[in-house]
Amino acid sequence: MSFGGPAGSPFGGPSASATSAAAGLPFAGMPSELAERAERILAQEPEHPDPDVAFSQSEYDRRPFTLRRFLGPHRLGLAGAAALVIVETVALQAGPLLTQIGLDRAILPRDATVLWWVGLAYLASIVVNLAASAARVSYTGRLGEKLMYELRVRVFSHFQRQSLDFYTEEKTGRLMTRMTSDIDALAALFQDGLVNLAVQGLTLVIITGVMFALSPTLAVVTLVVVLPGMLALTFWFKGASERGYGAVRDRIAAVLADLSESLAGMRVITATNRRRHNVIQHANIVGEHTVANVRASTVGAIYGPANEAIGVLGQAALLLVGGRMVLDGSLTVGELFAFLLYLTAFFAPIQQLVQLYNSYQQGQAAVVKLRQLLQTEPTVVEARDAFVLPPLEGRIEFEGVTFGYDREQSVLRDVNLVVEPGETLAVVGPTGAGKSTVAKLVTRFYDPDQGRILLDGHDVRDVTLHSLRHQLGVVPQEAFLFHGSIADNVAFGRPDATAEDIVDACRQVGLGDLIDRLGSGVDTPVHERGSSLSSGERQLLALARAFLAQPRVLILDEATSNLDLRSETVIERALDVVLEGRTAIVIAHRLATAMRADRIAVIDDGRVVELGTHAELVAAGGRYADMYATWSAHS
Amino acid sequence: MPRSLEPMGVAADGRLGESKSTSASANREWSTGTRFEPVDVERRFEPPRGKIHPDRTLGWIRRMLPIVAAHKWVFVPTLVLALIANLLQVLLPAVIRSGIDQALTDRTASLNRFVVMVLVIGVLRSLLTLVYRYGLYKTAFQIDSDLRNRLYEHLSELSFDFYDRMQSGQVISRANSDIRSVQMFLTFAPLISMTVVMFSVAFTFMLTIHVPLTLVAILPLPGVYWLGVRLRNELFPLSWIVQGRLADVATTVDENINGVRVVRSFAAERQQINQLAKAATSLRWASVRTVDTRARHNPLIENLPRLGTLLVLVYGGWLVIDEQVTEGTLFAFTAYVTLLQAPFRTLGMVLMLGQRAKASAERIFEILDTEPSVADRPDAADLADIDGAIEFDDVVFAYGNGSDRADVLDRFSLRIEPGESVALVGRTGCGKSTVVRLLARFYDVDQGAIRVDGHDVRDVTAASLRAHIGMVTDEPFLFSTSLADNIAYARPGAERGAVVAAAVEAQADEFIAQLPDGYDTVVGERGYTLSGGQRQRVAIARTLLTDPRILVLDDATSAIDVHVEERIHAALTERAAQWTMIVIAHRLSTIALADRVVLMEDGRVAATGTHRELMANEPRYAEVLAHLDDGGAA
Repeated sequence: MSFGGPAGSPFGGPSASATSAAAGLPFAGMPSELAERAERILAQEPEHPDPDVAFSQSEYDRRPFTLRRFLGPHRLGLAGAAALVIVETVALQAGPLLTQIGLDRAILPRDATVLWWVGLAYLASIVVNLAASAARVSYTGRLGEKLMYELRVRVFSHFQRQSLDFYTEEKTGRLMTRMTSDIDALAALFQDGLVNLAVQGLTLVIITGVMFALSPTLAVVTLVVVLPGMLALTFWFKGASERGYGAVRDRIAAVLADLSESLAGMRVITATNRRRHNVIQHANIVGEHTVANVRASTVGAIYGPANEAIGVLGQAALLLVGGRMVLDGSLTVGELFAFLLYLTAFFAPIQQLVQLYNSYQQGQAAVVKLRQLLQTEPTVVEARDAFVLPPLEGRIEFEGVTFGYDREQSVLRDVNLVVEPGETLAVVGPTGAGKSTVAKLVTRFYDPDQGRILLDGHDVRDVTLHSLRHQLGVVPQEAFLFHGSIADNVAFGRPDATAEDIVDACRQVGLGDLIDRLGSGVDTPVHERGSSLSSGERQLLALARAFLAQPRVLILDEATSNLDLRSETVIERALDVVLEGRTAIVIAHRLATAMRADRIAVIDDGRVVELGTHAELVAAGGRYADMYATWSAHS
Repeated sequence: MPRSLEPMGVAADGRLGESKSTSASANREWSTGTRFEPVDVERRFEPPRGKIHPDRTLGWIRRMLPIVAAHKWVFVPTLVLALIANLLQVLLPAVIRSGIDQALTDRTASLNRFVVMVLVIGVLRSLLTLVYRYGLYKTAFQIDSDLRNRLYEHLSELSFDFYDRMQSGQVISRANSDIRSVQMFLTFAPLISMTVVMFSVAFTFMLTIHVPLTLVAILPLPGVYWLGVRLRNELFPLSWIVQGRLADVATTVDENINGVRVVRSFAAERQQINQLAKAATSLRWASVRTVDTRARHNPLIENLPRLGTLLVLVYGGWLVIDEQVTEGTLFAFTAYVTLLQAPFRTLGMVLMLGQRAKASAERIFEILDTEPSVADRPDAADLADIDGAIEFDDVVFAYGNGSDRADVLDRFSLRIEPGESVALVGRTGCGKSTVVRLLARFYDVDQGAIRVDGHDVRDVTAASLRAHIGMVTDEPFLFSTSLADNIAYARPGAERGAVVAAAVEAQADEFIAQLPDGYDTVVGERGYTLSGGQRQRVAIARTLLTDPRILVLDDATSAIDVHVEERIHAALTERAAQWTMIVIAHRLSTIALADRVVLMEDGRVAATGTHRELMANEPRYAEVLAHLDDGGAA
């Protein structure tokens, strides 16, 4: 938002009530009659028990993820499914054969009794196919969903083991696809792909077998006329449509990207009189999309009719050759009939098999990507013999710490620093000097390259991650809010907190007004990552979250840097409450914040260049004194 | 394509008429640029032809019809070809039937004749199908493109109040799935009605052969329709539920990626895994339910036509034995059962597509029917060259239109002389930014008037007004194009030299020149993001390039280093005579830019004077200053 004013101004965003109306409905946008049916379906949903998934930082299945290993435990079930597939396919393909028998044994010889028997057998084939197919769909579907569930939990658990460096900005999109499209591709492969592969392959085998049994000559004629053209056509189609739809995907992405950017920047577009230019620019992008779409669908427009033409060729060949064989008595009418029917049945499996090859490839690609992901070892690992960190006094010590995000460039160099229990230490310095890194090392988001970090004398690498982080509270620069209510967010670090605890925490940090103002108090949902709250309020929520968790050590990572003045005053007051009696490291962007600390460390170029109280540092006339002078001159 | 980049260029008066008629979006044509709205891009595709019917009382199909009708020269022949192709398809089994009966059973005719007929009919049908499908797709995507363009044009017309309440996700989904569903229905419904014609023809033909056999043969087919409807009735809500739950899973994953620091900080890994497991369990339940619904319906739907085949075989066979029909008829009926199930399958589909398309169309209309709240009057004239005198005359204004709206500006009056620099100072929420938004007519005043050089801003075209105003805000929006294009945003196609000159003035040249790709660096690409201060400098350059008569800096240097800010100020001061300037200041250093300070309180002017005067006489001013940003500590 460009001209929208500061976040949190009452005029910037959509009104709170409008947003909740749009976001609060369970089926927003669903036609009402569907919504009713959806309600009815949901009424039948049983209460799912609360899941209790085992999780270990270091103990997990490290064997490479392969399709075979993934499906292995369900070998028996899959064999059962395969049996059902055989029954289903045989019953289905019995149809034309029964027609042939009916014609040759009953209708042409004018024998009504046989006709009834054939009819009965046909009916039986229908019933068997119906039952087998229903059982197969239901069974493989359920199994597939079970596998997908397990895979989702497994991949997500592995996400949770990963260290912070795993989550670099450029990767987030790709991580998301691991959990969404890759798992979906695998689901598609399993549910439609593998079983269908079996069904279609089997169908081809059966049809070819029956045709050769009926008449080898005619079978050869059919295959020669139909197969090469159909295969060539199908492979052409697969390649061309893949390219075509690849282009369509790129183009629609471009259209939507342009639209979305225009929507976000419409205020600038209006202010700069760019509308006409952008309308034409958008029309050009849309035009490219249309061209790509027409091109891709032309491939489909050719494929279907061309296949039909090949089918007609096949029919003509059958009539010509088979007709002559009927005339000279080497083929019965029923057999010719069956051939014509099988010819039609021949197309679908081949077309599908080529398509399935696609889904198989995508599934395989997903398997490879998931395998790589599941084999990624976290860089911050819990020691095998890690012990639970005893309740902290709160002494923090940096001992010759050197650290860099990459090997070449150290961000911190030989940092030595002690924070006594109950003390507040502010860390100041220019952007990029390594201030925030200090915070990230204490919480063990990263491990130092050299030196150690001690909490009450324990090296942070010797204790369990859970017990370490459980006793530390971090308030980051950007307060991240989770989907859910204010209460959910405040209780994030202590899910067992009572409603009173939560309200109390909110009031302690100065959110009392907010929760009184909101209709549902702490149960009010925060929308779209907190867009209905101002950045100050979000920051206070993050503070309440840390406060409720009652950590022994608190780390504020530029927690007040993005705030307007009024919010900052409220937060400063809240901080006094929260910091009371706790050890704290305050990474400060503003001097006003730093001045309130017990001691101040000035970091520049990865080193602690000055350390002392505000008065001492000002008196020393060094870097801090300069910063202070500049600051005072401007205020 | 004429380049009309020079705002004071030749065609000024000649184009006046064009920019006059912008009162309603319906009248606006987007094909070329105007004096104040330059265009530097060539239109490579035909502009959209059709427009939705403006009468809101009409049904949705009636309102969409003009869009389809615009393509009737392709669409109608396509439908005719489709009809012929469908009829040929009915003809084919009939020919084979005669072939079997006459050439094989009775042996009265030559087989070759029938084989040739089959070939000719079959190949012709394939050709026709190919052509009509191409025509159909072509029409479909033209409609799609027209709708997209109309939507974008309209969106670009809408005013700030729309963008204040808009959720871009919703607009994008309208531009995506809703347009697609409308387009699909509009093109495929007529096509499927062709298959109904085919059905009637085939059905009549069958009746002429043998009435009872015909009735028996199609007996199971209504079941296909009925089951299909039942299946969709269940699957549709289910797929919504599944989609919603997939989204829940995705949300949890997304939050855990973007909020990873919080999760790690609170050691909430296990709690989050359980939350995901919970979402995945719900998803699994709905998915299994979907699977079961399919398992209950699909095999039945697939087997009903086979039941038809069975009935034809047994009853038809009995009729052959009884010598009432021929073997060829048996073949033809078997073929027709397969052929005729198609309309039963698609009919239910079309009805459902229709329901969806109606809902989608209404969502699209919702945007297209939104009138821009700030629109040019029909008789609005262009604001030609101005001196830059600004007058706010008893302006009253509130955002939104609900009942709970509170006045942001309350009888705000202020006169700014040409060439004067004025700083607006006041607490957050006192209405400073609103003042400048009203000046550029992003919103219209509720009462009072704003005049530029004595012209009420509502009497002139918005484009000509805005062309004179350059505005920079504290959180400027940059587009994902090159830095050069961003700086030249208001002057597309500007010379590189002019771009660099503007960047130099805005103190942006230095950091841009250091980038590996310099001015061609694409914002946001390859993880290259600009800092807040850099963005502000680019935005200042963007505005300076337009050489505005009125310059508005709305906290525009808040993230810029104090020393760099000083240099920018020096450059601005040098050109101060060229423009009237309004500065919204959060820093003392910015206030220094102004000749005069206006202290605002509760939407009004509380006091005005020089900085010194106010410091001396106005305690409220000192109080506000004490709360200003301390600026640049780190």
